[in-house]
Amino acid sequence: MESFTSPTVTQRDQILVEQQVFSIFKTFYDMPPSSQSFMLELQRENHVEYLTNGLKQLGPSFCVLDANRPWICYWILHSIALTDEFVDPELEDNTIDFLSRCQDPNGGYGGGPGQLPHLATTYAAVNSLVTLGGDKALSSINREKLYSFMRQMKDASGGFRMHDGGEIDVRACYTAISVASLLNILDDELVQNVGNYILSCQTYEGGISGEPGSEAHGGYTFCGLATMILINEVNRLDLSSLIDWVVFRQGVEGGFQGRTNKLVDGCYSFWQGGIFALIKRLNSTKGERSIPLGDGEDSTASSDATEESSNKDLSQGGSHSEKGDHHDTSSRVNVDDISHNSSKGHAKVDPLFNSLALQQYILLCSQDLNGGLRDKPGKSRDHYHTCYCLSGLSVCQRSWSEDEDAPPLPRAVLGPYSNLLEPIHPLYNVVLDRYQEAHEFFTGS
Amino acid sequence: MHGRPRKAPKPEDEAAATAKAQKLRALQTQFFSFHHSKIYTKDAVELSAKLLEINPESYTAWNYRKLAVEHYLSQPDCNPDSVKSVLNDELGVVESALRQNFKSYGAWHHRKWVLSKGHSSIDHELRLLDKFQKADSRNFHAWNYRRFVSELMNRSEKDELKYTEDMIYTNFSNYSAWHNRSVLLSALLEKKAEGFLSKENVLPEEYEFIHQAIFTDPDDQSGWFYHLWLLDQTVTIDYPLLVSTWPAHGSDVFLVGDRCQIGSSSPFTTLFSDSGSFPIVLYFNQPVEGVSSSTVSIECGFNKSKDLLWEPLSVSNSQTAQVWVAHLKFPTSELDSSVEVSVGHTKEIVSRRGFQYNHPSTFSFKVHVQPVERDSSQVSVAENILWREENFNVYGEQAEESIPIVSFDRLCIKNGHESAASNWRIEALAKEIECFRELLLLMDCKIGKLTLARLLTAYDAMLFPFANKLVHSEEVLELYNDLMKLDPTHHRYYKDEYSSVLLQKMTSSKESLLQHCFRYKDSVSSAIGNTICLRLNNLSLSRTRALEKLLWVQMLDLSHNELQSIEGLEAMQLLSCLNLGNNKLRSLTALEPLRKLKSLRVLDISYNQIGDHSIDTTRYLCCSPLSHSVGRELNKDETVINDVTLNYWEAFYVFRDLNLYQLDIVGNTIADEKFKPVLVKIMPTLKRLDGELLD
Repeated sequence: MESFTSPTVTQRDQILVEQQVFSIFKTFYDMPPSSQSFMLELQRENHVEYLTNGLKQLGPSFCVLDANRPWICYWILHSIALTDEFVDPELEDNTIDFLSRCQDPNGGYGGGPGQLPHLATTYAAVNSLVTLGGDKALSSINREKLYSFMRQMKDASGGFRMHDGGEIDVRACYTAISVASLLNILDDELVQNVGNYILSCQTYEGGISGEPGSEAHGGYTFCGLATMILINEVNRLDLSSLIDWVVFRQGVEGGFQGRTNKLVDGCYSFWQGGIFALIKRLNSTKGERSIPLGDGEDSTASSDATEESSNKDLSQGGSHSEKGDHHDTSSRVNVDDISHNSSKGHAKVDPLFNSLALQQYILLCSQDLNGGLRDKPGKSRDHYHTCYCLSGLSVCQRSWSEDEDAPPLPRAVLGPYSNLLEPIHPLYNVVLDRYQEAHEFFTGS
Repeated sequence: MHGRPRKAPKPEDEAAATAKAQKLRALQTQFFSFHHSKIYTKDAVELSAKLLEINPESYTAWNYRKLAVEHYLSQPDCNPDSVKSVLNDELGVVESALRQNFKSYGAWHHRKWVLSKGHSSIDHELRLLDKFQKADSRNFHAWNYRRFVSELMNRSEKDELKYTEDMIYTNFSNYSAWHNRSVLLSALLEKKAEGFLSKENVLPEEYEFIHQAIFTDPDDQSGWFYHLWLLDQTVTIDYPLLVSTWPAHGSDVFLVGDRCQIGSSSPFTTLFSDSGSFPIVLYFNQPVEGVSSSTVSIECGFNKSKDLLWEPLSVSNSQTAQVWVAHLKFPTSELDSSVEVSVGHTKEIVSRRGFQYNHPSTFSFKVHVQPVERDSSQVSVAENILWREENFNVYGEQAEESIPIVSFDRLCIKNGHESAASNWRIEALAKEIECFRELLLLMDCKIGKLTLARLLTAYDAMLFPFANKLVHSEEVLELYNDLMKLDPTHHRYYKDEYSSVLLQKMTSSKESLLQHCFRYKDSVSSAIGNTICLRLNNLSLSRTRALEKLLWVQMLDLSHNELQSIEGLEAMQLLSCLNLGNNKLRSLTALEPLRKLKSLRVLDISYNQIGDHSIDTTRYLCCSPLSHSVGRELNKDETVINDVTLNYWEAFYVFRDLNLYQLDIVGNTIADEKFKPVLVKIMPTLKRLDGELLD
């Protein structure tokens, strides 16, 4: 008879990580308060320098990312935007030109010039351009062609293929729906049966897997949940078991694991942390904004009449006239409700996860003081982890706030208040004011 | 991309890497020119292989190779042997690409594509997989591919089950292996494979297996997750069942057209209705859809209309709900008639997971309508319910026979509950209980205690379905008490479970229920002097559960608890007076279930925390008031929406459809002087606000 032995390889690895992390925490707690505060400081300048260099020139080790070049743009540009910095105009121009060369004549963006269009790199390219903002960037996107590319990627099952002849999975659904929603080209044809596909990927654990039959995974759970919110079918998911699953993915280190019994990884600060941001806003949404008002009442109902009317457009189905009239408003959700609402200032709400512990993990364990962030101590920094650790940090800092526009309370921000990052729109993971600019641009309001 | 092993670069490595990058650039230029001019010569195809070896993520190159293969297959001179060798070349390229990066989506996908062509031997695949799965036993690409291959080669699920067993023996923390085991077992059970005809044969062995892992290290997460799946498999009854109804089977319902005292009828089943109709409530064991006049038929002497409108009682506005209601009109003249309701004789009532309701059941009750001579002076009296201690008198044991829960058992029998088939479940649970009691003797283990509490609760529910005894409830309450102390981080979760068990215990028998039944009578108002009030106050409840036995309640006191949510209360369709005072309700939207209570007239929500926090974090699971359907519905009464109501949108949303006479809201942050006129405006029926008579 075989028997089990303990500890397993998994347990040994876990113990090693815990030792490493706890020794960092111990060093931290043994320090005088002044040094503690320094330890917790977000090394903004170093991060921005590391990021900006990456946009100019990458080392040869980046060969393997050659089919993901728009992703590198997005990770870097979004991280820079989170720190409220800008890239210089020449670099910005170059990036727009580069992404334009990635755009396929028949729609969609490939991993580099000449490569096949691919949904994931399309998402990265569109999010990059939205993050850059401005007419040149936004108008460089060929929405009509992009729409027809998406229709070609739509599978009869309801899911999407990553590229022509490529794999179908939850990532593909999210990137397609997110881009379509952001560019205001989401219609019933694209939405049809996507919900069924996502539902078939929710496992008994509560989370969502990449494809049917697989185990629940943080990245896919974020993608699946965000997709369901965007197509307004979120109540079809078993949200209660989804929340059960995700709350138990935060470990003793403070950071999140991606799957049951895996090691902590800084990037899940966003994939799992972002799930909480989505869930919080699902229920915190305020009624004022979604009620379509009579014309005469617009100015009195809201102090911000512009936003009000743009909301009205969305809730009535968008205004993308090229695709004909959208009669069925039920397939679209008012995405503004998810991101921000107008109620009064500093409302305090307890988050469903330990936000301060996660911030502590990001700042003390994921941060490379020379710039850049990483998976865990002992790993090296990269742009991917920098992007998702910082996005996660931004989510944490606002995990108590109801209102994204108002600055959070000092105690919600671990370390000096200067650590505060820009707020994001959690459905798309772009900085909020960039989203608003793009939203106005593409809804024509 | 993410998760690839990285090494810190050394100077000499860096030089080599630069050379590599240059090589790659040259390769790429050449490759794209071949690709764009559709050149599929041997040299060109080989070049793409070199490219992929360096960068397996180059999906364009994978697609190019697919096109090249298709191109080759369409040539007139291709024969079975050469086809095979071409496809084998593809497999070789994938294999070396995977060695480079075994997380490459493109490489795994290409391999699936090649094998789907059906010309290659698949024997090699499992060996290859073994290699990769040894290197990274959690790689989900490899597990997905494994499922794909075993389906393609018709490998028996039993062999795959054996494989998961080996993987688990190598490392029982490998949750991917446990997960795949649950997927395989579900498939085997579903198709009733040999040796897997029923859960009865399979699950007990699985329990044995998991115990080894759990006892080896109770702190490991993987085993507990699998155990939770097993427990779910053991207790879940797939088929929808009717667990409770109002009116209950065999009961006598006395209907009175207006509020007045009537003679001899039981206060439990006397209903005052000012709408000329009474509700029929169906309470299922799980959410179902398809309840309609074609799936539920009603025979009665007085209402000839066959098309009753069944409404799902769900806050999320979905067409799936655990509780359904329809309103049956009754005549104003004196009447004694019986009503028979038949549920599920056609097959359209289905659960969320697609299981049909297949226990057709019938229940009947008698309706007595009492003619009332309208006395206008009596009607206009604005009643004032005072939730004072002196107004409640113990109901006592009198008229015990008329308490409507008696008839639960009769209903169950009619359900033809699958009792014989459940024996193994009870045995399995009993064994598990024993096992975890042992574990807890060895060590103090939180998850062990939680599991034991869940097991005991499931055992009680299964052994005495819908019945009168919960033998382990004391022990379960004790366990949750312990857990609250041991694990304060999850205190609220345990508290909720505690409340739920406590409520089940109190509602489980006539005796315990009667202890909480009081007769309401105050000095002023005689109009409802005969009302029974169920008082579940001062119990530190944090959650409302087990409401299926309380469908008859018209007056309910839940004050002085710790409720943050009243989820499920929408099932209590007869409620006319409700006291939620002195709880921890944090927002008006937490009151959303009340919107479904059309008979509610008196509501006390005083001394809660409404307005303290602008978001109620306990309501994560309920639907957003912003869902489109709500917005549309609101379009209709735009006239009501003005500046004032906009600022109190939640109040408008919750109270608009209620016909309250009396509301107490004092002691909440939101209830300031500006708010009261708003309430009066929203609810024209309101006669009394915070005890003050309105004009």
